[in-house]
This record gives sequence, structure tokens and C-alpha cells, in this order.
Amino acid sequence: MRELRWIWLFAAKDLRTELRSGGRLPAMAAFVVLAGFLFAVSLDRTQIPSRSVAAGLLWLVVLFAAIAGAGRTFDLEDRHGAFRHVLLAPVSRRAVFLGKTAANLVLLWLATALAFVAVTAFLGVRSPGALVAHGAVLLPGTVGLAAVGTFFGRVSSHSSLGDTLLPVLALPLLVPVVFFGATATARVFLDRPWPEVAGPVRLLWAFALGALAAGAVLFRHTAED
Amino acid sequence: MKPKSAGTAGCVLAAAGVATILVVHWMVAFWVPTEASMGVVQRIFYVHVPAAWTSFLAFGLAALASAAYLWLEDERADAAAVAAAEGGLVFGALMLTSGPLWAKIAWGTYWEWDPRLTLTLLLWFTYLGYFLVRGSVSDPRKGRRLAAVVAVAGALNIPLIHVSVSWFRSIHPDAVVIKPDGPTLHPDMLATLLVSLAGFTLLFLGLFCLRYSVEVMSRRRPPAGAPPGASS
Repeated sequence: MRELRWIWLFAAKDLRTELRSGGRLPAMAAFVVLAGFLFAVSLDRTQIPSRSVAAGLLWLVVLFAAIAGAGRTFDLEDRHGAFRHVLLAPVSRRAVFLGKTAANLVLLWLATALAFVAVTAFLGVRSPGALVAHGAVLLPGTVGLAAVGTFFGRVSSHSSLGDTLLPVLALPLLVPVVFFGATATARVFLDRPWPEVAGPVRLLWAFALGALAAGAVLFRHTAED
Repeated sequence: MKPKSAGTAGCVLAAAGVATILVVHWMVAFWVPTEASMGVVQRIFYVHVPAAWTSFLAFGLAALASAAYLWLEDERADAAAVAAAEGGLVFGALMLTSGPLWAKIAWGTYWEWDPRLTLTLLLWFTYLGYFLVRGSVSDPRKGRRLAAVVAVAGALNIPLIHVSVSWFRSIHPDAVVIKPDGPTLHPDMLATLLVSLAGFTLLFLGLFCLRYSVEVMSRRRPPAGAPPGASS
């Protein structure tokens, strides 16, 4: 119970800092809208039906937004030496990781909602399927993206390669999320019955819970300076 | 193990591995029968499968040694992890190049985005990231710790690769040796494969011991400019 309170406190602190500094969210929002626009103008929609590519493009936009956001998770605190003080809090590193992941997840949900609107609108997908079903697919997928992104965001923050290293480390592990997510979202776009969507969604949940557990266990090795 | 003993063991094992692989080449060229449906190209199998086995062994060993380093903070475990990860990259590159050469003839294309192939390629990239992390962190001790974390996280992919053939539709051929009802290979083909597996494993273990010995000794070397007799 006490740990849950710490997770909430860390997440709330990060979101408050984000609202005050206003760095990551506007950048992620601008990125997803521009990416949706670029995909729409670069595809010949007389040859490729929008619905058949919308799911893959949506997941790519969300993936790159997650990586871009995660790369800045520790920036502000590292720059001012504040992360050292975060680590002085009488709480496990697990709570720090889960709190940071929760804050990243909230930002990613906002970017994902915008990405969904941008991709479907720019690609001209008239009936995108049940919104509740899209939410049920995107929820576990974004949890997995936020957990892996936050974890490797910390690893790459120590490196002189910085943001260049993060995609090299995170993308190989995130391919299953994009694969299962795009498969399930494509089925929702095509109005397929839920049992056909449920299989990939279960795998997305398995990945998300596995990523959260692995991150919570290993984060203490990446946290210290 | 002491670095000097590891070096000696490495030389012996690597020499035995090279000799065995020379025998395998003779067996593949002159002894083993040609497979009926695929023809001569099937002989790549005797290089591809042992390379795959050795690379997974190496990546698994790197992950175990990395976990040991995170737990015990023993420099020897990190040296073992580096040696194993380098071996994994080398044998993995051999697997990832020999497979497409066979696939071009058998499937008509060098590469298919099949789950097993894709996940194996991603595992290879994860261990490439392992070396990028080591090389890009200014504090070597911190670099070792972070690289160990990457190795452990990346190894979570290995069981997924193993089950991917049964979980997803895959065009990658099924196992022909480790099966519940026994191997389905021709006995001569099985013998050639087993000798090749032994040769590749011996070569990897030899290179692993040699690399481990060099890594441990290089860390004991005194820094440049230090007085004689000093060690780091």
C-alpha cells in the first residue's frame, strides 16, 4: 500500500513537472500529427486502401512517439542533478521505475488518442470500428511501450550516444508489441468479432506484464550514477 | 579459472574444433547422401544448424554470466559475458548469412518475415546494443553493469524464439532431431550433423576460453605510465 502511494507520488511529480515545463507533450503531439500527415501524403491511396495500412501506420506513429517521449524521461532531473535526490527517497527503485512508467503512460495515452484521430482522419478511414475495442487493444500495447521505453531511457541516459542508443536497444524488444498490436487493430478496423481480436490482445497483456516485472526487477542496476 | 589455464584450454579446444570442422567439410562434400527434394543446397544445413545452436548457447551463456555479474559484481563473470556475447555475434552472423543462402533456393527469396527469423535477427541486434552500451559509457564499471542489464533483458527473447514456431504460422522448417518420436533424419545425415554440432561447440568453447583469458589479463595490465609492479 505504501509502495503504491510512492508510485502515485512519483507519477504525479513527473506529470506536474511536465505540465509546468511543457517540453515532451507538445513535441509528442506535434510529432504524431505530422507523422500522420506525412504518411497520408506519401501513400498513393488510389492504389493502397487506407484501411489496410492504417493499423500498421498507427502503431508505428505510437511506437516512435513512445521512444521520443521516453528518451526525455530523465533529462530534466539528470541535468539539474535532481535524480540523485529522487534516489535518496526511502523507497525501492521498483517504485521509482513504476512511477516514471505511469507518468510516461499518461503522456503516451494522450499522444495515442491524437495519433488515432490524425491517422484515421488524414488517411480518410470513414468507419474505424468500435472505439472500445481499439481502446482494449491500445491499452496493453501502450503499457508495454511505456515500460520498455522508460527502462531503456534510463540505460541510454548514461551513454554518450544518448537518444541514438535508445532505439537500438528498445526497438528489437518492441517489435512483438507492434506486430500483435497492428494485427489486432487491423481486425478492429475491419469490424471482425472480438474472439478474433482477443488472441493478440492476450499476448499484448503478457508482454506488458512481463516488461513491467522485468523492468521493476532490473531497474535498480540502471538507476545509480 | 585462471587466465593462463583458460588460454591453454582455449588453444586445445579451438584446435580440436577446427580439426572436427575440417572432418565435417570432408563428410559434407564426399560422404553424406544428397537430400532428395532440395538437392545439394540442403548441405548448408550442416553449417546453419550448428551455427544457430552455438549462437544461442553463446547468448544464453552471456545472459547467465551477466546475471552473475549483477548479483556478485565479480569481474570474471563480466569477462565471461563479453567473451560469450562476442562468440554469439560471430556465430549468429554465420547463421544469419547461411540461412538466406539456403532460403534463396528453397523458398525463392533470401528473407521472409517469419517469426523465428525476425526474432533471431532482433536478438542479434540486442547483443549489438550490448557492445554499444559498453563502449559509450565513460565509467567502465557503470558500462559493464548497464551492458549486463541489456544482456539479461535481451535473453528474454530466447524462449520466445524457441516457441515461436509452434505459436505462430511459420515457414521455417520444423526440428528434425529433437522430437518426441525421435530424429527423422537419415542416419548418415544425423551423424554428419552431430559431428558438425560437436565441432562448432568445441570451436566456440575454445574461442570463448581464449577471449576470456585475454579479457581478464587486459584488466590486470597496469595503466600506462604506472611504475613497474603496479596493477589496476
